[in-house]
Amino acid sequence: MTLNYVVALAALLFMIGAAGVLIRKNPLIMFMAAEMMWNAAALAFIAFARNYHDVTGQVMAFLIIATAAAEVGIGLAIMVAVYHRRHRLDIDEISELKG
Amino acid sequence: MQYLLPEILVAGSALLGLLAMVVVPKVRGLASWVVLVGFLAAGVDAATMWNVTPSLIVYNSMAIDKYGITVTELVLLAGISTILLAWNAEHFGEEFPVLVALSVLGMMGLGGATSLMPVFLGIELLSLPLYILAASRHTPEGGEAALKYLLLGAFSSGILLFGMALLYGATSTLIFVAYPGIASHAQVWLLWPGLGLVVVGIAFKLAIVPFHMWVPDVYEGSPTPVTNLMAFGTKVGAAIILLRILAFGFYGQAGAWGLLLGYLAVLTMIVGNLLALPQTNLKRLLGYSGIGHAGFLLVGIATHNIQGAQAMMFYLLPYGLAAIGVFAVIRLLEQGQDGDRGVILSDLQGMAYQRPWLATVLIVGMLSFAGIPLTGGFVGKFFLMQAALFANRPGFAVGIVVGTLVGLAAYLRPLQAMFQRDGVSERVRTMRWSAAGVMVVAVAVVGTIGIGVYPAPLVHIVSQSANFYWLKGG
Repeated sequence: MTLNYVVALAALLFMIGAAGVLIRKNPLIMFMAAEMMWNAAALAFIAFARNYHDVTGQVMAFLIIATAAAEVGIGLAIMVAVYHRRHRLDIDEISELKG
Repeated sequence: MQYLLPEILVAGSALLGLLAMVVVPKVRGLASWVVLVGFLAAGVDAATMWNVTPSLIVYNSMAIDKYGITVTELVLLAGISTILLAWNAEHFGEEFPVLVALSVLGMMGLGGATSLMPVFLGIELLSLPLYILAASRHTPEGGEAALKYLLLGAFSSGILLFGMALLYGATSTLIFVAYPGIASHAQVWLLWPGLGLVVVGIAFKLAIVPFHMWVPDVYEGSPTPVTNLMAFGTKVGAAIILLRILAFGFYGQAGAWGLLLGYLAVLTMIVGNLLALPQTNLKRLLGYSGIGHAGFLLVGIATHNIQGAQAMMFYLLPYGLAAIGVFAVIRLLEQGQDGDRGVILSDLQGMAYQRPWLATVLIVGMLSFAGIPLTGGFVGKFFLMQAALFANRPGFAVGIVVGTLVGLAAYLRPLQAMFQRDGVSERVRTMRWSAAGVMVVAVAVVGTIGIGVYPAPLVHIVSQSANFYWLKGG
């Protein structure tokens, strides 16, 4: 049952990514961890698509990759804009909004 | 393909607006006009499709039905109000209307989605422009809001995607309208975690407690027109897709998710409105109020009956109208002194005497949020309560009452500040009316009171549009 191993790997990647978002303080690392969760989903999609001999899952994986690229483009632009203003990136310091 | 004309019109207006910006850069605000005309044309075109026979298109991935058309009209209203609130405001950047159009396109896609693929694409298409829009004002708060929105958005989309992957693994298809037949004999160890992750992912977007913590910061930091789009449009998109996935795709398992969502709804209503109580910044207060209203919407989903679906569909319009009214007031106050500094409660001082019309708008909006009779909010809460009692869930009804009472206190504080006699704040004195702002507040006030006094036409519309169970046969 190779499917089970691949899905287990995807679940592991997903959990590492989720833990990364929750634990790390640097927005760049948090963003990378979130992208890792996306890629874990893409891996699971491909594994299931191969198992079912169905092309939908592979299409979904491509859509995930394309959307992730768009998101990275926007995300890095926002981070550069924030960094320009503060010269530090730490999620605890970026906290003018509170309450 | 003619059924997708509203979507094509909005997408076309976004591209045309982008082109107009480059080709004739001398004409200021041309993109706003192009997008506004595109929105209006899409709205008219969607309305003419009202009596079309429901059908599935694009390999069963999209549905053309009254549900989708109603959602289209709602998000177009959100889009038009956003464009009007940012009218002639060049500091938002030329590309502002184009990004709004793209975001609205994503929301429209969610309305018709019957497969998880357009759900994912719709949510991303609505979120990605909003990340940029949140930072469009180039203020430190805007950057912070955009960064928080981006990180939480990417995180929740990741959760949603992995849930979708597990559902695909359990059922071998992404078309969730086919799930009722498959779900009963699907692999349980994939189905339940998958469904749970999808619901959590959408709950982040809808701002359900305990997935709500990003909302106040993002609402406060974003420019007011953008907050308006987030508060109205995003909420519509997330709520209706959650309803369609759960009430259609998983109605066989309603016993399992119904009660759980109900607890979350009660928690959200009470916590959201409680946290709204001590707020002094008006946009932040609206952020928490939006969380509370997400709880009310969730009641309609959790009751899992046709009355609940109708009540939720109904509630979206009075909530949205009150929201655009209040955001328009904030926007008009921002056009006075101090520009983009957040509007706080003391800025409202003396407004009732100095600016009675503006005060009237705020009163109507706040009373509708609070659910006072003769406003749309009251009728919406009444239908939700009715749905909860029909579903034999008195606990939900008690939650609605408690949430409403707590909310009432929160919404009366701005009104109290407004009626203070000692002096008039600089902001109220220097605020300026704008034609676009007047249009928005007029629609908001007339709509809110109209629905409150004579709700029958809207009841008729939602009772037809919430009837999306035709999919069962197809």
